[in-house]
This record gives sequence, structure tokens and C-alpha cells, in this order.
Amino acid sequence: MPWKLLLRNVLGHKVRALLTVLSVAVAVFLIVILQALTTGLSKTLDASASNRLLVQSAVSLFVDLPLGYQQKIAAVEGVEAICKFQWFGGRYEQEKGGYFAQFGIDPDTFAVSYPEVTIADGSYEAFARERTAAIVGRKTAEKYGWRIGQTVPIAGTIFTRTDGQPWQFTLRGIYESNSPAFGENELYFHYDYLRESLEQGGATGPEGVGVYMLRIADGADPIAVQRAVDELFENGPQRVQTTTEAEFNRQFITMLGDIPSLLRMIGGAVLFAIFFAVLNTMLLAGRERTRDLGVMKALGFKNGVAAVLLVGESLLLCLLGAGIAIGLAVAAEDGLASATATFIPGFELDRDTLLLAAGIAAAVGLASGLLPGLRAARLTTTQALQELA
Amino acid sequence: MTTAITLRSLTKTYTRGGETLRVLDGLDLDMDAATFYALMGPSGSGKTTLLNLVGGLDHADGGTITVGGEDLDQLSDTELAEWRAENVGFVFQGFNLLPVLSARENVELPLLLTPLSRSQRRAQAERALELVGLKDRMNHKPRELSGGQEQRVAIARAIATDPQVILADEPTGDLDRETADAVLEMMQRLNKELHKTILMVTHDPQAATYADKVIHLDKGRLGRIDDNTTAAAEA
Repeated sequence: MPWKLLLRNVLGHKVRALLTVLSVAVAVFLIVILQALTTGLSKTLDASASNRLLVQSAVSLFVDLPLGYQQKIAAVEGVEAICKFQWFGGRYEQEKGGYFAQFGIDPDTFAVSYPEVTIADGSYEAFARERTAAIVGRKTAEKYGWRIGQTVPIAGTIFTRTDGQPWQFTLRGIYESNSPAFGENELYFHYDYLRESLEQGGATGPEGVGVYMLRIADGADPIAVQRAVDELFENGPQRVQTTTEAEFNRQFITMLGDIPSLLRMIGGAVLFAIFFAVLNTMLLAGRERTRDLGVMKALGFKNGVAAVLLVGESLLLCLLGAGIAIGLAVAAEDGLASATATFIPGFELDRDTLLLAAGIAAAVGLASGLLPGLRAARLTTTQALQELA
Repeated sequence: MTTAITLRSLTKTYTRGGETLRVLDGLDLDMDAATFYALMGPSGSGKTTLLNLVGGLDHADGGTITVGGEDLDQLSDTELAEWRAENVGFVFQGFNLLPVLSARENVELPLLLTPLSRSQRRAQAERALELVGLKDRMNHKPRELSGGQEQRVAIARAIATDPQVILADEPTGDLDRETADAVLEMMQRLNKELHKTILMVTHDPQAATYADKVIHLDKGRLGRIDDNTTAAAEA
């Protein structure tokens, strides 16, 4: 019956129990999401290739590099392949929320540089042959129900067409990736389609290349290549910064600041807030139960039972909240993964994250119940009965 | 007649606001088994303190307390808890039923500390409620019962484990006269029919008339003991 009593005590204050459970649920949900983001971030960085370097402007990622740099970089010893990447920044007309990025690339060197990418539907050759063709990640294709051969209209925000119409890309391939560092949401098209449109006056926008991706030859020293490329343009006309793919991803992800530390700080603050909220509830419950605990002790129940009743109540409230939070997080996983895909392709609610959430909730439950539990255990029967008078 | 409770040179002091109060001052007392005692005295005379010591709820500062052959001053807090579970039933002024449990569950509560099975516990709790005339209300929560009914449930809880000693602290303090009399009659029945030793603290002289003997405490010492049975016989 102590277990029945524990449950009845919880249900004895339905509104308070509900509010506490919901508070815990909201906090644990937030912690789950923050942890999934942090884990996704680590996975993305860990999965970055060691044989790929990225060259960007030393000033900022938002400053384009001259097209003429390509040949000079390609000539550096150890560079096996070079591929342009230009951030397009367009918007799909029938967007359903959850932005997907588009990049102009060089199809001939892109495929050899990213062996983790495979074409699941359509043909890479067809994509490479056709100037207005595009390939898109499986998740985005599934989201919008796109089929091979259809035209996808994308309105440019950085590169706008002079006729006022959206850009038309013909879908020739749907790709999959087996690496968390390479997401399945992006759309890739020919950089030359963009360049020709700009040159022919069909579109307006900045000329140049956002980033050059270099694939390093087997046996070549990435640090030596990195240094050689940076030295090549040390005296201008525009200095460059060459980084490993992992470092580039880290910088890209943390453009707004030290995201992992920020996420941990928010998670820690949430944890403390919920700890104090549950502690407050349990201190109140402990005080209210002084009479009951005194009577139980008079009947012969030992001090430990009094403590277990309060610690158990706290634990139950927190685990119920965690259960709700985990259920909500699992239900929202696809939407959240889609929303964060561009920056953190590795977002995933793995088992460790869910176990961590349950563990945190249990720890908060135990810690919050400990103080009122100890107080209840130490309370003498006569003290408890005197408080009744 | 055997002695149920023996107190020798019993002392108890409390310190409140820097002042030391000697609540019990070398009390010597023998109480017979199967006898209904009322414990009376002015406020601060040590009535509730004595009840707490006899019930093993508190430790004396000096002297000895023997209840049913057990020297309580030799027992640790844990041992006292076990002893209470087996040997004493308590009835409080404010009834002190657990509000979230039904009448039957309240009565069943002390039985959780016994080796009885679930069905045996339930049967015993129902028997105790039947004894106090409340079997038909056993599934009601305390808030659904009247004050008199609550106190009868509390009495059922006190006798559920079949203890030899029942300690009652102002059991009728919160009841009207008619209900108080009914509760006191019930306690008298427990004494006469089930041969329980009852020690009842009361301020109410009329309540004390239900007892066989009335112990008067004065400033932590024994004043006198009135024998109601002798008085009744003489009358």
C-alpha cells in the first residue's frame, strides 16, 4: 500500500501534479532537442572527410572569390580535383516550411569528390549532360513529391532573373548520402548555368565563386596543400583561407557564435530551473504530509518509508514528464530534422539522447525529493504530532 | 491482575526558549492489564508526554518504562517502531486518518507491517470496521464521513493489529457530547469485551467517568488515582 499511497498522494493534488509534470515535460523536451542538436553537430563534424579542403575568402564566407583562382588552385601539388560551390539562396515557390539550400557546382568534379553520395533515382550522367539539370536530396524530393524529369521553379533572392520569372531546374537525379556530414535536403545544379545567365544578362547577382572545394590526392599532405593555396594568394588580389572540411563545417555551423556551448548553457539553465520548480513542489508536498507521516510513524512505519514516499513521488512526477517529453520529441523528430537539415544534417534522436533525457529526469526527481525526504525521515513522531496541534 | 505498564522514577525535560521544563518529575506508576485508565490534569502536567513515552514515541531522560514486559528505554528508534506496530494502537484527537485513503485502507495501514497476506489484511480491516459499526462505510474517504465516524475508523485502525494497549489522546476533544459518548462507550466495550488496556488523556470529567480508574497528574508527578469501579459499587 505505500505504493498505492504514493500514487494517491500524487493524484491528491491533480492540478499541482499536472502542472509539475508539464513543467518537467517542457524542460526535458527542450533538453532532448538541445542534446540532439549537439549530438548532430558532433556527428556532422566527425563525419567530415579528411581529404577535402575548402577555400574561401579570408575576409568572409559572404565575399566571393574570383573565377580565375580555379586554375591556379588546381595547379597546386596534391590537388586532385577542384569543384566550385556557389550558395544560391533561392526559395521554392510551394515551400512547405523547412528551408532547403541550393548550390551551383561543377558536375564533373563533384561526383568524384563526394563518394558518399549515390544517385538513388535518375542518372548522374543525365544531370551532368544537361546545363539546366539539377539533382536533389531524397528527403526534399520525398517532401515535395518530386519526380525525375519534372521542372522545379526556384525564385532567386541573391541571383534574380531579369525576366522576373523563377529559375527552372529540370530534375535528373535524386541522391542519397551515407554520411551525416552530407545532408539529403539540398539541391545541386550546374554552376555554369548560373554563370552563363549572368554573363548573358539573363540574371543579375554577384559574380565569382563562394567556395572552392579541393579533393586531395592520396598520400598528399593536407596541411602542405592548405598552406600552399593560402600562400598563392597572400599578396592578393584577394586573400583566401583554406580549411579542412571539418573546420569549415564547424565555422559554418557556428557563424552565429559558439553554438555547442550556447546549447549546453541553455540546457544547464533549463535543468536548474526545473530542479528548483520540482524541489519547490516537493517541499510543499512534504510540509503538507507532515501529519500523515507523523501518523504513519506512530503506527510503526520506519523513517525510511517516509523518505521513500516523498522521493518516490518526486521521481514519479519527473518520469511522467520525461515520458511525455520523449513522446513529443519522437513525434516531432522528422519536422525538427527537416528544419535543421541545412546547418546540421546529422540531427537525430538517438537512443543515447533519449536515455540521457530519462536519466536527467530521474536525477532531477531524486535530487528534488531528497531534501524533503530527508526532512521527513528526520522528523520525530512527536514533532510531527505537535505540528498538528 | 497482571501489571501492563510500569513506570519507575520517570523523568522528562524539555528546553524551550532557553528555559528547561521538567515535564515529568520522577513518576512512579503501575497500571493493570485490561483496565481502562483516564489520565487527567491541568495543561502542562505531563499527560501527553506520558502518553508518548508509554507509546514509545519518545525517549525518557531518566527512569524506566515497562510495557507488556518490554523495557522501552532499552530500545532504539527502529526497535521502538517495530514494537509500536505490534503492541500499541493510537487514537488521536484530530482522528488523523490519511485523507487519500478509504476507511478500509486506513484501517489496513498498520496491517502492512504484519506478515499477513493481502486478503487476510483486507478481511481483518473489515472485521475491525464491523466492530465499530462502519463496515457499510468502508469504501468512503475520510472527508465523506462525519467526525464521529472518522473517530470510529481511527479506533478500528487502533485495534486492527490486535494490540494489548490502546493509547488515546483527547479522542473526544473534537466531538459533540452525544458523539463523544458513543465513542467512549465503544472504547469501554473494547476494554470489557476485548480486554484491552486503555490509557486515555482527557480534560473532560464526563469522559473520565467511562474509565475504570482516573490518574491525576500534577506538575509531572502523580497526584492521586480515583477508582470509578469502587465508587460505582459504593453508589
